[in-house]
Amino acid sequence: MNVKTRSRSVVVLFLLMFTFVLTMQPLSAQDEVTEFVFAHSGPIRTMDAPVTWFSSTHWLTNGLYDCLIWRAADGNGYVGQAAERWENVDDLTWRFYLREGLTFQNGEVLDAEAVKWNLDRVRTREDFLVYPQWQFIADVIVVDPLTVEVKTVNPHPYFEYDVSYNGCQLLPPDYMAEVGEEEFARSPIGSGPYKLVEFTESDRYVFEAWDGYWAGPPAVDRVIYQVIPEQSAQVAALLAGQVDMIPAVPASDRALLEGAEGVSVVNETSNRITSFYLRVETETGAVAETYPDFVPATVDNNVRLAISRALDRSLLAEVQGSATPRLARVCDYYPEGSVGDIADPDFISAWYNPEMARSLLAEAGFADGAGPTIYMDAPAFQFGNEKEVAEIAAAMLEEVGFNVELNVLDSSAYSEQITSGGNNRDMMLTTLGCAPSLVPSFYRCDWVQANYNVCVDDWDALGGQILTTVDPTARLDLWGQWWDTYLNYAQTITLYEIDSVIAYNSAEFEFTPRKDGWFTFRDLLPVS
Amino acid sequence: MQGLVVRRLLHMAITLFVVSLVVFFMVRLRGDPISVMAPPTFSEEQVARLREAWGFDKPLIEQYVLFITKAITGDFGQSIQARRPAMELVFERLGNTYLLASAAAILGVVIALPLGILSAVKRNSLIDLISSAFASLGNAMPNFWLGLMLIIIFSVNLRILPAFGALEPAAIIMPAVTLAVGTAARLSRITRSSMLEVLNQDYIRTAYSKGLSDRRVLYQHALRNALIPIVTVFGLQLGWLLGGSVIVESVFSWPGLGRLMIESINVRDITVVQAGLLWFALSFLVINFVIDLLYVYLDPRIHYR
Repeated sequence: MNVKTRSRSVVVLFLLMFTFVLTMQPLSAQDEVTEFVFAHSGPIRTMDAPVTWFSSTHWLTNGLYDCLIWRAADGNGYVGQAAERWENVDDLTWRFYLREGLTFQNGEVLDAEAVKWNLDRVRTREDFLVYPQWQFIADVIVVDPLTVEVKTVNPHPYFEYDVSYNGCQLLPPDYMAEVGEEEFARSPIGSGPYKLVEFTESDRYVFEAWDGYWAGPPAVDRVIYQVIPEQSAQVAALLAGQVDMIPAVPASDRALLEGAEGVSVVNETSNRITSFYLRVETETGAVAETYPDFVPATVDNNVRLAISRALDRSLLAEVQGSATPRLARVCDYYPEGSVGDIADPDFISAWYNPEMARSLLAEAGFADGAGPTIYMDAPAFQFGNEKEVAEIAAAMLEEVGFNVELNVLDSSAYSEQITSGGNNRDMMLTTLGCAPSLVPSFYRCDWVQANYNVCVDDWDALGGQILTTVDPTARLDLWGQWWDTYLNYAQTITLYEIDSVIAYNSAEFEFTPRKDGWFTFRDLLPVS
Repeated sequence: MQGLVVRRLLHMAITLFVVSLVVFFMVRLRGDPISVMAPPTFSEEQVARLREAWGFDKPLIEQYVLFITKAITGDFGQSIQARRPAMELVFERLGNTYLLASAAAILGVVIALPLGILSAVKRNSLIDLISSAFASLGNAMPNFWLGLMLIIIFSVNLRILPAFGALEPAAIIMPAVTLAVGTAARLSRITRSSMLEVLNQDYIRTAYSKGLSDRRVLYQHALRNALIPIVTVFGLQLGWLLGGSVIVESVFSWPGLGRLMIESINVRDITVVQAGLLWFALSFLVINFVIDLLYVYLDPRIHYR
């Protein structure tokens, strides 16, 4: 080979390589996928989502399953998922019109029969944790393949809320019949925008965008739900760029994350309210058997009101780390939670009145600082600093004359304590969801809990009226009356509403927290 | 030897039975699993219905008989939370825990033996001082703290190792080092003291006087005789590594049995706790069994009657 030929070969080889590189460039750009890693403490319960009520599971499965309708991200009403539109036909009937051509991810048709199967499943399976929440449905009627009617037991003002809540996920009936529930938990199939492509139980779940979704594939191609139990390890993983979002930033790490490049920290209501629950009677539940002579001080209404007046909610919210002081058991994002002045900061601030607490104690027969002994239970950690909140609350109560026996327990021992009836505890600190739909039910005479039962005849009737009044204006009036009793009966003493503090990779993703306190992969957008 | 194996296997079966009893009743001592499963707002009737659906309403003895009868056939029941067979969940995680414990054990031995031998041979030297300092630090450092420090250095600052999971081979480095440090610290100390004891024996002096090289005396005469206490401690350390993995797996989100156990205990998924604890117990028994056999190999004078 002479020099000329060799030079020509080098040029040809160079051109070939250049052409190869040029042709590769668009391909690699085309193949680039956006991947989002979400870290959560877990654990995850089951992929058969309707079975459970834990939010960690529902956040995970939300992209996998569609419901009939769902809450709008900005808090304004509801949006259709499997249902294109819906209407309230009469007091007891809601009609849903399904989208045409819907299928599950395995090709099975999602029609009215499938919807009926799913709604019947959650309202009849007594071993499902969501079962009690679905008892508002009397019947589900298939009108035609794209129309389904839901009959309610009573006029139901919170129908849309309840029908879009835990248990609303639509599963493929034929596939379930074919593989059974156990296998379904291993290989779940939904009709949502993401398909589950691999998972290790309670560890790592990998989802990929589903091209067949009725609204088109979602903006992020691949999402990974990674369980990282330790919060400090979650923070480290975010700082190391190995995860893109952590949903509960520890207060101690907030400043660090706010200062980190490419990381944003945002706040939004978590839709959780923390309250003290007080024992007001000893006749129902196991306590009557285990402590037949037990008369808790909190049976006296004046003692309960004294507790309520002795607690400085602003300080307790500050101790929690990311909370807003409240008096209502419903978040103020719902109209029910801000009726009248119950959410007014001045009213809340003025409710704290240690002098009044002392005089209420005196009226109850505990004058001159010789207050009763109160047995208080609190979890060491649930959503943030519960132990510290309980300690400060105990100090506030002692300041007005109570003797407080505080018992701080680890979370599972605490759960056992509050749900087992046979204990002699007067008050417990706990955090629950704050949606209005079920709240009045918990204070009705027929809702016999293992502990802390309530039965006040007038209040019971008022709760019944609220739960069957569809007209929003009339219903809000009733709520105003309901809060009067709530505050003055003081069985539940609300302290604060907790905010979620979310940190995420804002260099690559756009994210706006939802108003309902949920997280879903559906809301993500890559930075354009 | 055959007799020894049969007797040991019999002991293992009896121990496992006793462990099953203890585990079964202990997990129930912590309380009723349904109370954690059910929301606090559940009515008494709803809680009772759930308890019945999962069979927790039956007398404890009846529940135990049912449990042990099924367990013998490998059926440990369904996970209350995941709704899949409990043993399936345990087996999914088991390999990762064994992998981590083995890596930590090997790393521990690789660090401890040379360090222990060197510090015995060069007693009161700089290497002995360093070995002693390492042992004190290794014993004193809580492994969750060490784990977090490693994450901060190698994942957050240097960005060269993954902070969590078991997705790539490099992911095992930090959890294995975290687990191995304590083991290496303890093993290096016992290696040093055991070697010092042996090196003062008459037969070592005899070996030197016969003109054998240092290496031959050390490895053929001294080390083999010093190994019995080292193997005993190593056996205990293997158990510690399996137990220690519970914390380390949580710090590094290593998908092993330890993490599964913590999560299951927290949500009181007692079928998984039972299956996992029994498997841990079986692992300890097998390790002890192998150590017993090793004694016989290392010192033929040992006989088990």
